[in-house]
Amino acid sequence: MIDITLEVNGVTKTLQVEPRRLLADVLREEFRLSGVHIGCAHGACGCCTVHLDGTPRLSCLTFAAQCDGASIRTVESIGGPNAEHMLQQAFKSEHGLQCGYCTPGFIMTLVPFVEEMVGQKRIPDDAEIREAMSGNICRCTGYHGIVAAVRKAVGTGLESGV
Amino acid sequence: MRPASFEYHRATSLEHALELLAEFGEDGRPIAGGQSLVPMMNFRLARPGHLVDINKLPLNSIESDGQMLRIGALTRHIAYFDNPLIARHFPAFLDAVHYIGHPTIRRNGSIGGSISHADPTAELAAVCVLYDAEIIARSTAGERRIRATDFFLSAYVTALEPGEMVVGVELPVPPSSSTGSFIELAERSGDFATAAIGVSIEFSSGRITRAAIVCSGADLVPIRAREAEDFLQGKPLDAAEASEAARLFATSIDPVDDHIASADYRRGLIGKLTQRAIEAACNRALDK
Repeated sequence: MIDITLEVNGVTKTLQVEPRRLLADVLREEFRLSGVHIGCAHGACGCCTVHLDGTPRLSCLTFAAQCDGASIRTVESIGGPNAEHMLQQAFKSEHGLQCGYCTPGFIMTLVPFVEEMVGQKRIPDDAEIREAMSGNICRCTGYHGIVAAVRKAVGTGLESGV
Repeated sequence: MRPASFEYHRATSLEHALELLAEFGEDGRPIAGGQSLVPMMNFRLARPGHLVDINKLPLNSIESDGQMLRIGALTRHIAYFDNPLIARHFPAFLDAVHYIGHPTIRRNGSIGGSISHADPTAELAAVCVLYDAEIIARSTAGERRIRATDFFLSAYVTALEPGEMVVGVELPVPPSSSTGSFIELAERSGDFATAAIGVSIEFSSGRITRAAIVCSGADLVPIRAREAEDFLQGKPLDAAEASEAARLFATSIDPVDDHIASADYRRGLIGKLTQRAIEAACNRALDK
């Protein structure tokens, strides 16, 4: 067992973990953050994407023991309890989800991308959007709704000057 | 699935890491980004008893003295995109990076991890073989420099000894009148390649003076197309001979036959990719 301290969505906890425990499992079981979805557990689907010290990371390919002292954000930190982030709202209006299993991963992968595009004051073309989300698999939507949602979210961000 | 049990060690210096790896021998593995090793552990295809976390070591750099480009083992794939040395001198390298996994993998995976894992179609393994790289390995016994063609022995098998780890890669910097290209085909974007071809050429007065061609997917390690390389020497940059060079190579190989593609399909694919990669490199040379 190994002692680690994690700051997750603003809550800091020190806990003992077995080295073999994946960050995804520790977030789900010790922090009760069930928005961290585990699809494939080998880095192919993107469902478990979280932000580790500010950048997207697959929590199924990360041992919690490696994250001592790190700051982690999960989908629960985005947009408040009513999912009001512009990307979450756009997923809703543009049919960016159906069953929703992959959605937290898409949101965590794409929020930094949307913010980057808004920062650069430009709407990305579809090829750029598809490249940005190429590590996430969705088996319901066929991706068109998700691409539309990203485009809309960037547009909303540009209009509101966020 | 979940990994088997192991002990976790955070290395505080290179010496510390090497001492730990020497102590654990075959039962120890360094871990950096974990983008290849952790999937193997989750499937229990790898069951190291000890992981030595090397992420804090100062091995994250891309430097050149004009003769050699030295890349630290912990350099993340994403770092190549905005590196002027890579863009100016190693266009096939830069092309290849676009095919590595997807953005999250590229942000976290390292060159040391990728080449130590030695997937048969890993882009950076092919890049190392294309550019005649030397792999720099360290252990408590000292440093060893291994030519890329001697480093990759088979699928997931390298020349690394127990207790040894990759600390960096050195590539000779090509002359200014050189260019290249890298083309890959995979079933899905970011998936393992069905086949890939990298080309690097040097040129003078409208002719190719030296060519290097690497292929992933023809064998269990990246291989060079020596006969086609020799054939291209002295040929004009209009790429009129690209299809003949591709034919020479495609008829000389005995490609992998697996669930993704038959050997015949791969031979055809490799021929076409070879032709296109030579043409792309020649077009870039003409634009220079």
